[in-house]
Amino acid sequence: MLRTSIAQGPAPTVYLAGEMDLDCADTLREAVTEAARGAQMVALDFAGVEFIDSSGTGIFVRLALDLKSQGTPLVARNLSPAVRGVFDMLRVRELVGDEVFPD
Amino acid sequence: MADSTSAMPASLQVYRYRAGADRVEAVIGTLEPDFPQEDLVIHATEALERETFMCYAVSQPDDFVADELCFVPQGDRCDILSIRTNGWERHHGDHRRSLVEILNNIAAAVACGKLRILDTNEVSSEVELGRTVVEYAIGDTNELQRAREAVDDVLKQAGLDDIHRQRTILCISEAVTNMLLHGGGRGQMVVRRLGDRLRFIVADEGPGLNFLNWIEPPSKGGQASMGYGYKIILDYLDAVALHTGPGGTTLLLDRLIN
Repeated sequence: MLRTSIAQGPAPTVYLAGEMDLDCADTLREAVTEAARGAQMVALDFAGVEFIDSSGTGIFVRLALDLKSQGTPLVARNLSPAVRGVFDMLRVRELVGDEVFPD
Repeated sequence: MADSTSAMPASLQVYRYRAGADRVEAVIGTLEPDFPQEDLVIHATEALERETFMCYAVSQPDDFVADELCFVPQGDRCDILSIRTNGWERHHGDHRRSLVEILNNIAAAVACGKLRILDTNEVSSEVELGRTVVEYAIGDTNELQRAREAVDDVLKQAGLDDIHRQRTILCISEAVTNMLLHGGGRGQMVVRRLGDRLRFIVADEGPGLNFLNWIEPPSKGGQASMGYGYKIILDYLDAVALHTGPGGTTLLLDRLIN
């Protein structure tokens, strides 16, 4: 199960914790949509993500591309080793752009 | 051929030729009428005699259309993979994987022996091998985490190192997700112990794999289906076997243990 918390501000951060799979779509989209309201950009903090699979990755990619098309860039920070390994394997950087990973 | 097939979905079909037979049989899908049996038998026989993987481009109505026939000799039989992309190189221009890449990954996995395609009789006997360690039904996405926890427990008891444990859990998650999305929404996961390995069996009674499913929006929640599940499974596990047909799909996922 994925848990989220939001640190509000002009560049809000959504903190993610738990597991990102097929079941996380609604939770993640609702949190990011709330954070993005009126924001110049949104950061996703992956430090608490213990597991991610291709479905969780696909949901993240979709969100990143949607926000980019709406003019609200999304950045991903603090990728845990589990997340980094899957993102590298699935070539996520190529899909969403280098600017999503400023670290 | 381009006119007659341009409206058809892309597909992967698998046929099998047994040495000495006068025809091939379908293992996944159906025999396509425009491939003459005698030609398939000739090429399969040649692949068996030369003990060499052989691949042919069947037609190229456009530059990027890759209709291929791959002949994969395996002892006394030759598996024949028919890949038809019908111009579906990249779907909707978004991030989802190229269908051509997915199908070619599968063909390559069969060619190198990582993936075995099983017929009905073979899968019936394979799922009985060894002894059951864990078994339960899965019918909802919120059970994915529980399935992963069960797999984690088994792998810890088997003494698997952290990296292989995490990779195996990821693969089982991918297989169960595919079952939930494309296998009728419910099925069964069984873990069995066979000698030097743990075998994870993910089985459903859904409509069978339709390779077009992988790049169409799935039914649950409208999430993008990246088509990556099988790449992860084939990259990270030690051996994989697949049976699929109108009666459902069964995946056998093997992890060697010390």
